[in-house]
Amino acid sequence: MQLPRTAFAVSVLAWLCVVVPRHGEAQEGLPAAATVSVEDLRALQQSLGVAASPAPVTAPIADLGSAMNPKISLILDGSLAWFRGSPGSTGGHDPSHSGFNLQALEMHLASDVDPYLHMDAQLVFGQEGVEVEEVYATSLALPANLQLRAGQFLAPIGRLNQTHPHSWQFLDQPLVLGKFLGSDGSRGMGSEVSWLTPLPWFAELRAVVMGAGAGACCSRSFLGGQQGGADPRDLLYTIAFKQFFDVAPDWSLLWGLSAQAGPNGAARGARTAIYATDLYVKYRPLADSQRAAVALQVEWLLRERWLMGTRLQDHGAYAQLVWNVDPSWEVGLRSEYATGLRDDALDADWTGTRTRQAVQVTWYPSHFSRLRLQGGHDRRPWMNADAGWSVLLGLETTIGAHGAHTF
Amino acid sequence: MRTCISACLLMIVSNVALAAPVKVVATLPSLAALAAEVGGPLVQVQALSSPRQDPHYVDARPSLVLLLNRADVLVMNGIELEAGWLPPLLLQARNPKIAPGSLGLFDASRFVHLQQVPQGPVSRREGDIHPGGNPHFLLDPRAAASIAEGLARRLAEVDAIHAETYRNSASELAKRLRSLAQEEAARFSRLPAPQRRVCVYHASLVYLLDWLSLEQVATLEPRPGIAPDPQHVAAVLQTMRATGTRVLAQEEFYPQSTSKTLVQLAKARLAVLPGGARFGEGQRYGDHARALAAALYAAVTQAVP
Repeated sequence: MQLPRTAFAVSVLAWLCVVVPRHGEAQEGLPAAATVSVEDLRALQQSLGVAASPAPVTAPIADLGSAMNPKISLILDGSLAWFRGSPGSTGGHDPSHSGFNLQALEMHLASDVDPYLHMDAQLVFGQEGVEVEEVYATSLALPANLQLRAGQFLAPIGRLNQTHPHSWQFLDQPLVLGKFLGSDGSRGMGSEVSWLTPLPWFAELRAVVMGAGAGACCSRSFLGGQQGGADPRDLLYTIAFKQFFDVAPDWSLLWGLSAQAGPNGAARGARTAIYATDLYVKYRPLADSQRAAVALQVEWLLRERWLMGTRLQDHGAYAQLVWNVDPSWEVGLRSEYATGLRDDALDADWTGTRTRQAVQVTWYPSHFSRLRLQGGHDRRPWMNADAGWSVLLGLETTIGAHGAHTF
Repeated sequence: MRTCISACLLMIVSNVALAAPVKVVATLPSLAALAAEVGGPLVQVQALSSPRQDPHYVDARPSLVLLLNRADVLVMNGIELEAGWLPPLLLQARNPKIAPGSLGLFDASRFVHLQQVPQGPVSRREGDIHPGGNPHFLLDPRAAASIAEGLARRLAEVDAIHAETYRNSASELAKRLRSLAQEEAARFSRLPAPQRRVCVYHASLVYLLDWLSLEQVATLEPRPGIAPDPQHVAAVLQTMRATGTRVLAQEEFYPQSTSKTLVQLAKARLAVLPGGARFGEGQRYGDHARALAAALYAAVTQAVP
């Protein structure tokens, strides 16, 4: 009984071997137009002046199983730092000590989910593990120029808060953002509705509600690690209004107004509000073959905290001017300050006005890597110490999908 | 009475619908020029970039979001030429009419015989290459003719009432572009072989050179998107001398300082080509193609200064 069964299997296999490849060949060998031979088609094309090249070639997909994989890119930010005086860094991705620093290893994944949703994920790998920086879905087909976002994302307060280190021109984050919004930026689980207004210029309104207790990110101004419930008073609210004016073909102006309000950790019912305005002015002569550009970026933030009947108010700002000399070179200047309060129960070690100046030179070997040298001067008068100095040398490399940036 | 009013309203509404032109937004000025000619008064065309801009590096200005938000049709080059700026604009545009897979998204690269499609594994060691093939086909009027025909078929679907008009104007245009292409190609083919050798800045002229049967001897960039270094420029100079190449050609948006030095040393001419149709100034695609050919012809035939 065994023998016939084996014979049958062998014959089936043999038949498959003969038939299947032929079937494949027949498909590959099909002429571009079924009724016209390749030669005739070529002759016709030649007489019509059409390129007599072979039928359109499309890059073969090596593995159909991976065709729907999301776009993946991986970005490394590392630096060699030297500090005189304590670094006093406020940003989670800032170089934090003299010597080698792994500032961030970011992985970005993005893909359309279906005709209705797009999904983005931003994972950060550090020495201690993996952190979900952002992961959210964005609606694609809502009526009335509305767009929804849901998941964990960076709040649209100011300009820089919504971006990641690879789109920053300096190796560290401005002081005021770290002080008010936390080392990882203002972010949390929540949802956002944004509306592109029907005004004749670009004007977009965003409203966000998210948990105020989403971890270390919010603790500097809001609840932070403490548990927030479903009580609307325990949530963090952000609104933002962005307007863009293309003043001239070579000049762009983006202006944002935003505000954030939520509970702070001082006491039950204690509230915090942050008001911000940001300006981005760019001059890029379109006809310049060196792709030269000069951009001024300014952000100003004001924070008010109410605790037990007293109002604490502090503020800070930075202004940076970046000149893209040509595709390979860029130079930048940044000046910033952040005030402090003498009797601040929530921020006891920042009691005066801190100022910092930085200058950077960047070399881009290609579109996908850059080497930055940054020098900084840092003054914290209340600490009765000499001014701090820093020299940072940073390398950034990008692999994977070709990234694109919002303006 | 009520029927009369509603009939009147219906007439007004349908008239308005008929009269409103199809809003076409094109990523590049040459595509805009083609769309304007195919659609004529039936379309209202706007370009997202200028011919003087490198199409790889356009700023994703929010004003472009507004144009995309209000578009009925988006005409794009495709195969990643706009990868550095178009995706975030499309996401912010909130316009399902021009989403991938919709009638309103027209990808020109689908209508072209693509060149330099990598057949094996690719790596950025080779520079900023396009894994889908060389995307600079708009410099070739033969490709433009096929794109115009494809676009007419698409516009005929979007605006079915005027299908015939789109098809007719596109076939007229395609015929003109193909005969122009043939004419110019014939003119260049009469040149002796050494005169048909050119050096280029970026590997963006392959379709143009193929059309005019010119031979690319070297590229000034050592790899696509990598700035020329002295060693490579020296090698290019040697190649130009050895092959008797007398022309360095490049689009206007590439840097010219190294090129100027090189042509001086090689006793060659620098042919600076328009980066695209001057759509903003009302130039038609055909005139742009003629200008391209004329600039190259002048460079390869004229004596070195």
